[in-house]
Amino acid sequence: MTKYLTLLKLSWQNGLVYRLSLFTWRLRQFLSSLMSLTVWTVIFTSNNNAFGYSQDNMITYIFLIAFLQSIIIASSLNGLAQRIYSGEISNHLLKPFNIFAFFAIEEIADKVKNTFFLIFETFILFLLFKPLISFPDFKIFSIFLIWCFGGLIMNFFISLLFGSLGFWSPQVWGPKFLFFMILEFTAGKLFPLDILPKILQKIIYITPFPYLSFLQIQLFLGRLNSNDILHHSLIFITWIIFLGLSTKYIWDKGLRSYEATGQ
Amino acid sequence: MKKTVIKIENLKKYFKVYKKEPGLIGSIKSLWKRKYETVKAVDDISFEITQGEIVGFIGQNGAGKTTTLKMLSGLLYPTAGKIDVLGFRPWDRKPAFQKQFSLVMGQKNQLWWDLPAIESFYLNKAIYEIPDKEFDITLEKLATILDVKDILQIQVRKLSLGQRMKCEIIAALLHSPKVLFLDEPTIGLDVVMQKILRDFIKIYNKEFGATIILTSHYMGDVKELCERVIIIDKGSKIFDGKLDDIINKYARNKILSFTLGNGTSENDLKEYGEIKSFENQRATLIVPRIQATQIASKILNKFKIIDLNIEEASIEAVIREIFGDKNNKQEK
Repeated sequence: MTKYLTLLKLSWQNGLVYRLSLFTWRLRQFLSSLMSLTVWTVIFTSNNNAFGYSQDNMITYIFLIAFLQSIIIASSLNGLAQRIYSGEISNHLLKPFNIFAFFAIEEIADKVKNTFFLIFETFILFLLFKPLISFPDFKIFSIFLIWCFGGLIMNFFISLLFGSLGFWSPQVWGPKFLFFMILEFTAGKLFPLDILPKILQKIIYITPFPYLSFLQIQLFLGRLNSNDILHHSLIFITWIIFLGLSTKYIWDKGLRSYEATGQ
Repeated sequence: MKKTVIKIENLKKYFKVYKKEPGLIGSIKSLWKRKYETVKAVDDISFEITQGEIVGFIGQNGAGKTTTLKMLSGLLYPTAGKIDVLGFRPWDRKPAFQKQFSLVMGQKNQLWWDLPAIESFYLNKAIYEIPDKEFDITLEKLATILDVKDILQIQVRKLSLGQRMKCEIIAALLHSPKVLFLDEPTIGLDVVMQKILRDFIKIYNKEFGATIILTSHYMGDVKELCERVIIIDKGSKIFDGKLDDIINKYARNKILSFTLGNGTSENDLKEYGEIKSFENQRATLIVPRIQATQIASKILNKFKIIDLNIEEASIEAVIREIFGDKNNKQEK
């Protein structure tokens, strides 16, 4: 256990070295939320209801998506493919330390750091927009927390799968960029997915992406009934198991092809 | 009889490499069709190393030295062949194995770049589960021998190459590994630092009975540290034995050095061998090894000689000759 704690502390220290980079990254996230909130506030000045969302619901949605963006979707493993291709992971592979535990700790360190800043940012946004956020009952809130944790695990596997491209090719920015575009669209970051045409929604629900933020928020807002919750919980578990097994299979293959080049 | 620590049998590692046709046309063609070729980085190598040996791996760039070390440390999966290090198959990456070896690469950094070296040492302490007391004693000892006590709190990226290399060595040795793979540990270091590191490796080998494989482009490292050398060329082993035996096996020439009496010119010596130098009646000739005694005797008979020495060629020259020959044959 000591080694994991030491690594966690070291990852925090490392993450706090470049202050300018850290502050500008947080500023970007803050401005993104600020813009979304402003746009939707303007839309609601002439309407009480837009796309089936009341103003309070939509503002809650924006607050939650910003929060879940930092907790679930933001990942320290975005550059993993480069780290593999450049041979940087060799150091981890040589040590008596599970490499997935290493990445998981990097993720935890990154997410805790994000959350720390997010609390301040949310406080400022709260003062500016004075939203009326109503919390669900304890049972729904507990499921919401479990789903958040599930989304986090799912995104961890997806990041590892994308990173594993680095075992075979240095050309990872193209697919990664495309992935980010799809993710922003299908996880509900830009707008709630239920404002899209039904056919498009059906296609998106086949993918794991709505489980990375959108469905958690729907649950929080009370827009899912018990049947929906059960249905999505089952799909959620299936996706996590499938992605977990795929990650293990692909990484086993990847490590056999690993060339430990560079440096 | 000493215990075998490393055993390699018919080891092979092949890589598939993309071969691009030259020019813009080649680049455009490569968008839909690519040619790949198989590179035999290591091709059927076998050897054994016993406990406490320091073995030098010699070879040109791309000969397969580093690839072999990477397979020995479990980073690369072999295409074929068997490896046994300390009774483990490195590829399994068992913690019990990983706690007993270290791989140090002169051009690679295991220290956290933006943090002081001491932080990486604490992390290694935790990862290798080194007891507090043992860690303190080892760190104190290593930091004293390598004279780095004052720089342990400074960010790694602000250290000089030599200081960084010393810290890398400490990070690699904190868990007192029984087997050490050193890949170009003195690369880029000045001569003073090279000497310090060589002395240190010697001490570590003696004190811990560690088995060490060393690759280096500096023959000085190999001459000073290794009794045994393995020469690898284009993935194949071409020599495995004592350093001195390389000369017996490969040296084609010997060096005759002598001082002549007055009245002899450089031209008079041309028929006896290749004149390396001729200055103030002091001459150095390179002559075929098997005829060296015969030629020396002829020179002694024909000229007035004040003193004469017959020497072996330097190990550097012999190694150059081995690889030079191979390259020439390939070009032809």
